[in-house]
Amino acid sequence: MPLPLHERAQDGSSDAIVRVTLADLGQSFESTHAASSLLIPDRPLAEGEQYRFHFNMTKCIGCRSCEIACNEQNGNPADILWRRIGEIEGGVYPNTQRHYLSMGCNHCLDADCVKGCPVEAYTKDPVTGIVLHSADACIGCQYCVWNCPYSVPQFNAARGVVGKCDMCHGRLTDGLEPACVNACPEAAIEIEIVDKIAWRVDYAAAESPGMPAAGHTISTTRITLPPNSTTKLERVDVGRINPEHAHPSLVYMTTLIQAATGSLIFALLCKATQPVFLTLLLFVTTIALNISVFHLGRPAYAWRALKMWRRSWLSREVLFFGLFFGTLTAFTAGSWLMALPQSLTTAIGVPWLHQFQTLPHTALALNLLGWVAAFFGVAGTIASAFIYLVPARPSWNMVHTPIDFVLSGALIGSTLPLTLGWIAQQLSHLSIFRSMQLSIDIHRFPTWPTAIAATFCILNQAVRIVRLNYSKLFEERATAGLLNTQNIRPAVFASFALTAAAGLLAFCGGFGFATFAAFASVLLVRYLFFVSVVPLNMALTFTGGGPHK
Amino acid sequence: MSWTRLRRALGIDTRQSEYTYQKDLRFGHITSARVADKWIKTTCGYCSVGCGMLVGVKDGKAVSVRGNPDHPVNLGKLCPKGLSEHHILDAPGRAKHPLLRKDGKLVPVSWDEALDTMVEKFSAIQRRYGNDALGVIGTGQLLTEEVYALGKLVQLGFRTRNSDGNTTLCMASAVSGYKLSFGSDGPPGSYKDMETADVILLIGANIADNHPILCQRLERNRVRNLNSTVIVVDPRVTKTAMMADLHLPIKPRSDIALINGIAHILIRDGLIDRDYIARSTTGFEAFAEFVSSFTPEHVAAVTGLTTEQILRTAHLYGKAKAAFIGWTMGVNHSTQGAVTVTAINNLALITGNIGRAGAAPFSITGQCNAMGTREAGFTSSLPGYRKFDNPQDRDDLARLWNIDVNRIPTARGMAYPDIIEGAVTDRIKALWFVATNPAVSFPNYSVLEQALRSVDFLVVQDGFHPTPTSDFAHLVLPAAIWGEKEGTYTNSERRISKANILVTPPGEARPDFDIFLDLAERLGAKDELYPGWQSTHDAFKEWQRVSSGRMCDYSSFTWQQIEEEGGMQWGGESLYTDGVFPTHDGKAILHTVPCLPFFEQPNAEYSLILNTGRTVEHWHTRTKTAEVEMLHHMVPNAWLEMNPVDANRLDLKPHDRVNVVSRRSSVKNLELRITGIVAPGQVFMPFHFSETNSNRVTLGSFDPISREPNFKQCAVLVEKFVKTLH
Repeated sequence: MPLPLHERAQDGSSDAIVRVTLADLGQSFESTHAASSLLIPDRPLAEGEQYRFHFNMTKCIGCRSCEIACNEQNGNPADILWRRIGEIEGGVYPNTQRHYLSMGCNHCLDADCVKGCPVEAYTKDPVTGIVLHSADACIGCQYCVWNCPYSVPQFNAARGVVGKCDMCHGRLTDGLEPACVNACPEAAIEIEIVDKIAWRVDYAAAESPGMPAAGHTISTTRITLPPNSTTKLERVDVGRINPEHAHPSLVYMTTLIQAATGSLIFALLCKATQPVFLTLLLFVTTIALNISVFHLGRPAYAWRALKMWRRSWLSREVLFFGLFFGTLTAFTAGSWLMALPQSLTTAIGVPWLHQFQTLPHTALALNLLGWVAAFFGVAGTIASAFIYLVPARPSWNMVHTPIDFVLSGALIGSTLPLTLGWIAQQLSHLSIFRSMQLSIDIHRFPTWPTAIAATFCILNQAVRIVRLNYSKLFEERATAGLLNTQNIRPAVFASFALTAAAGLLAFCGGFGFATFAAFASVLLVRYLFFVSVVPLNMALTFTGGGPHK
Repeated sequence: MSWTRLRRALGIDTRQSEYTYQKDLRFGHITSARVADKWIKTTCGYCSVGCGMLVGVKDGKAVSVRGNPDHPVNLGKLCPKGLSEHHILDAPGRAKHPLLRKDGKLVPVSWDEALDTMVEKFSAIQRRYGNDALGVIGTGQLLTEEVYALGKLVQLGFRTRNSDGNTTLCMASAVSGYKLSFGSDGPPGSYKDMETADVILLIGANIADNHPILCQRLERNRVRNLNSTVIVVDPRVTKTAMMADLHLPIKPRSDIALINGIAHILIRDGLIDRDYIARSTTGFEAFAEFVSSFTPEHVAAVTGLTTEQILRTAHLYGKAKAAFIGWTMGVNHSTQGAVTVTAINNLALITGNIGRAGAAPFSITGQCNAMGTREAGFTSSLPGYRKFDNPQDRDDLARLWNIDVNRIPTARGMAYPDIIEGAVTDRIKALWFVATNPAVSFPNYSVLEQALRSVDFLVVQDGFHPTPTSDFAHLVLPAAIWGEKEGTYTNSERRISKANILVTPPGEARPDFDIFLDLAERLGAKDELYPGWQSTHDAFKEWQRVSSGRMCDYSSFTWQQIEEEGGMQWGGESLYTDGVFPTHDGKAILHTVPCLPFFEQPNAEYSLILNTGRTVEHWHTRTKTAEVEMLHHMVPNAWLEMNPVDANRLDLKPHDRVNVVSRRSSVKNLELRITGIVAPGQVFMPFHFSETNSNRVTLGSFDPISREPNFKQCAVLVEKFVKTLH
């Protein structure tokens, strides 16, 4: 990027509409002006430096021109704001203080959006330090939306991809001010240079009331706060907390794949991995994986999600569940082969298959294959849980999340095999299966594990809600508050009742009903998990605005 | 089609083509949708700050707006409304066809039918009930050329005196106050004064929300002079109060006491300009005597301020080399508005803070061309700041217009509120509203509604339809708006700026000017009223002759100069630089202004004082800004601000839905904001929203001099909103 910007900035005699703004908002650009009075850097970046925003809260009058200018610059729909205004307020009348935040992307040193992205759509520009996002590479998984503590990336549903502030990289390259900098009538926003190493040591100037703690991702935005203020400034948008997106496809996907993993392990333990049963399990897994693909904004590019397996938990989840599907398919196929009667293998011209069936280690190998599949299922479930362990979403970022994922697998996995086994039993009576050894004894499955799993599920959820309720973090308490709202509270009670019912019904031998109750309880718990999360975010305004969806 | 949908569902098509960037020749890198073929200079059509802008036009469509970096008013900066102004031009809510009510329904008709019907109906009503049975309400949204043409059409063509502007809801008190003190209207200062003054005293002016682009003047002043002081007088802790070095949170409507109290201290402590007083004012002795009773202790009791705050303010103002007083609706929107303006003028006069750089008592106006209506309008005075009761002025005009002097009325007709009342009491039988929306903007809605329902024929001429007012109309005339017509606006600092054509009006909409000319033609008065006129430029040329030699003299500026210079100020940067005023003896008049309590005081039942105002995202009654998706999304609904003390007492929580009830009516289902921005005992709501119209509860009480409504104080109670099934 050719620098310094200052030299490329257009002077007052040209007919350009945008000239560099002087920090003192003076009349016209003259070369005699000190370079420091501009709102964009006047020198090239040195090694170890990057650009950042400086927001001067003492100058901002909350006029919101920056928000409009940003949307006009980027042609975004009205409800997607890459720059947002927030209000913070404190004190007692007439000594009330009210200030504003105007924030785009903070172009963090340790940006979590970059780390989490499964497809490397995010790059931290090596020259400018700007966190760039490529709509081309993006598959619309929205994991960055969950990861960013400032809720900066926003999903554009009409496009199927995410977008965010790029500091008007294309304008800076031409020596022009970013749209927000140029629009601000008070010169409250500027671009400046930051020494990355020094900033990593001391980033206190990034902290502000109404902003999540800067330390986690090391936001580079410098904020000038009102001097000597003893008034405690607080967000004004805290009363406006709405349920988040329910992500129904993720509710179903996680539930089904955990059910499949749990069932496989339970069946392996009970040595009941009969081919029809496995086929049914494979069917469940196929549904789950298909749902997960269509959860993406761009399903056609789902395969790209494997790319960043070294870094992204989302890539790892995709990888492990992919391997789970592969090994389960192989295991199922193997089981079918083992079940084929000699008459059939001879009839279809592969008599050697029978010999294969009787080799001493075949059964053992097949069993091992089953356990490999189970391993990938568990690994996928854990990777899946880690996706949700993001500091930007406090109510997810708890030990209860992985515990819930594992227990959900156990709860459904300990009752679903009975139901699938029963179905398999019915199917094996069909004439085409007559010649095969497909008997499955569902009485092999004990019923007590469901009761135990249900007990632990209830315990896990109960402890989670209590901890949320008494948390020091506002967002976690807000989650507890959401769960306690008139509309959601009945669902919480129902989830507990259904879990208990699953345990009891299983114990009483009503495995079909138990399976239904277990599924319903896990789906409901997962639904509540998604809708009740209160993400970290910058303070927004009292009325409307911002992506509170 | 379904192929595209499939490709979109799969994410193969991400609408990338709509999200590409290109390089605009003059603006640089920007989304392709905003790249323009040409950039056209114009002036913003929202408020009276009068920002210069450049509008990007492509394929006959306005695609982008930018501040004009060369314009002296705004140096390239714009507020969010200005930055998104191009979106109103092709908004879905634009009025596109003339509509006439037939069998109770508004149906599209031709322009011929529309205007013939209008002339027929008006004439019939005037024949039956007299010429003055027609009431016309104009607006500060029109071009000066259109205002001038409308005045002639109404007074000389339709021959009714009952004509006023929506500006009476806005700055009539400032006009009256200036006339009372100085003998003429005309804000004596400039925005530049806000950069050079040592003390800037803003009274009832929330410029950060309402005139945000003026705030940069304060910022530049701070950079220039570290000792400059901004003092904001406002009962509410507004965004502007936040910017102040000193905020004076006075009790509602106690500003006269504060101003008189400052005058008292200035006189007591010898901080006055005795030479200036002797040379340029009359009435000082009586004035000094009168304000002597406004001791700091008395003023502290009335205003709720401390004596230290009052003394400090007086000393800052008195010791300043140049002191500026700016005010807006906190002063004007009152039954004591006009006299409050004279009280402000008193302060400037006794300290000689008028007629020089940085020193002015300055009314910051409202609409983009409210000033144009004051200068060229034919409502509360004759065009060119001429007076109805001055025979010389009437003769002047008769000669210029080549008409019999008896055609020019000797007194103004009814003012806006009196026209509305006249409609209720059957004195007004036909109404014509031009580019204004009283169903949201006029106080005490129930009376207004009765007026709209009472008249025999109601014409609403507007750029938008439906509006809450056009819903009542018998005839709707679709008008061109800002960006579709050419002419001039005059801003608060007397700067005449050029507004240009960017696009053609939608559908059959026509510029107001064309409608006026067409009506004159149908009245058979075109040759007399508009001799040889083709365009607004012809009107401008006549207006130049009419204003020539007057205070607001346009004769020395051509349209071209106005455009090239970024607007030109009549009267220069300051008026009255010689200390001579347009009164009979050339001296300004010091008035004695008593401080009276506001009309509807709270009591045990209606215990809260309701204050109304604006928010930066919206313009007036939102006929425009509700159509701009971004602005609508930012603030989609009104709210009520209440102090935590009152909320606690009423057991209300943030975001509760509440009703605001006055003796007149109620506003239902408002979102409650509990905040220390408002004082205990006071509540505030924005008036922009027709859905929750604050004017259902406001008071129909008017200034006896200016006829401006008392929007700012009325007694209300607040109760929880309960959903009822109908």
